[in-house]
Amino acid sequence: MSKAVYWMQDDCLRPGPGLPSVYVFDTEKLLKEKWSLKRIGFIYECLLELDVEIRKGNPVEQVALFAQSHGASRIITLETPDPRLQSQQKELARGFTLQVELPEPFVELKGRIDLKRFSRYWQRAQGPAMRP
Amino acid sequence: MRVQFASRNDLEAYLRTMFPDAEGGLSPLRGGNAAANRVLEAFDAGKYAATRNFLNGTVSRLSAYLRHGVLTLAGVRRHLLHKHRNLDRFLKFVQELAWRDYWQRVYAAEPDSIWHSAESLKTGRPESHYAAQLPADIQNANTGLACMDAFVTELKTTGYLHNHARMWFAAYVVHFCRIRWQAGAAFFLSHLLDGDPASNNLSWQWVASTFSSKPYIFNKENLEHYSSGTLCANCPSRKQCPFDATYEDLSERLFPHV
Ligand SMILES: Cc1cc2nc3c(=O)[nH]c(=O)nc-3n(C[C@H](O)[C@H](O)[C@H](O)COP(=O)(O)OP(=O)(O)OC[C@H]3O[C@@H](n4cnc5c(N)ncnc54)[C@H](O)[C@@H]3O)c2cc1C
Repeated sequence: MSKAVYWMQDDCLRPGPGLPSVYVFDTEKLLKEKWSLKRIGFIYECLLELDVEIRKGNPVEQVALFAQSHGASRIITLETPDPRLQSQQKELARGFTLQVELPEPFVELKGRIDLKRFSRYWQRAQGPAMRP
Repeated sequence: MRVQFASRNDLEAYLRTMFPDAEGGLSPLRGGNAAANRVLEAFDAGKYAATRNFLNGTVSRLSAYLRHGVLTLAGVRRHLLHKHRNLDRFLKFVQELAWRDYWQRVYAAEPDSIWHSAESLKTGRPESHYAAQLPADIQNANTGLACMDAFVTELKTTGYLHNHARMWFAAYVVHFCRIRWQAGAAFFLSHLLDGDPASNNLSWQWVASTFSSKPYIFNKENLEHYSSGTLCANCPSRKQCPFDATYEDLSERLFPHV
């Protein structure tokens, strides 16, 4: 198998798959969304407990540089609903093999789920959520 | 970036130089798995259902760890199950965890819509009647309303607010001040340690009525009760409290065209 690195994103600050790992503070996003220092500090403290290289700048560039520095052609990351991260993933997929893994779900629900209101979702989710 | 720090002050000073545009300092709430597990161990889930609506009631305070995946919803559920064998007594808490899952699913279904109203307002007014910006007096905790000023101060120093405080504040901004929910949501996201486009924006929409069948409002009696009177007692505006009315009167005043 070709060499791989792990891109840790901000909704999965926990131990990854045991590969060389990188986290990138997306400086443009932080500026645009006016992130206060306490938000950045909270994430930073989470990262300090993990085996991960911390970078800042443009995530696409930084992840690519990190992968190259490890001679890796594969990047593993987790699925995210965040459209900005999704488009960054797409960009990286042009130069690398991108492997997007699914995080563990809260409840496993099969088929179409009506999301119009919480009550409709809960009708389906309550059983599996409460089951021992 | 650096990973060795002599102290938390050292870390804060370093982050200031690396992120010079970021406002304020560190929160007293700490990041990391060790801190997350301490918070999880300290949480008395048995008290949650009966007291969670009170500002001084028992809530988990796990939100920032869940938002950033330090802990997962599935992991917290497993922890409870392991400790208590079954979840029957914790229905309310599991249901609140499910709210997070629900909002994430709504977000994932339409990621690009997260800053758009999902439905039309049920307030009898068009969106154009709502101001686009959050005024400085609100952002600077300078409204003269002890409750709202306390919430903003707490939000800015700790990055956390109790769920009820979030609801009251959002209702104040959207319905009493008639400001677009997006302005309040953006303000929250810059400060909340658990700031999450899904839970945050969709909760703002739930209050605003663009993701619910009616607007959420509160009155003074409700706020005074669930804050155990602490906020109203010394409020400089207590003689002209804008929330001191029945729900019928408030609805008529705020939504005369409904
Ligand atoms: C206007 C407004 C904005 C909000 N913004 C956010 C946000 O940015 N991020 C966020 O995580 N929550 C948000 N919430 C939901 C809720 O207020 C917080 O999740 C909760 O207060 C966090 O405190 P806790 O961990 O002690 O919660 P607990 O009551 O102990 O609940 C346990 C966990 O369940 C989840 N949860 C509980 N209530 C909700 C809810 N109504 N919606 C979604 N998840 C919930 C959270 O992950 C929480 O940590 C918002 C609510 C409102 C009204």
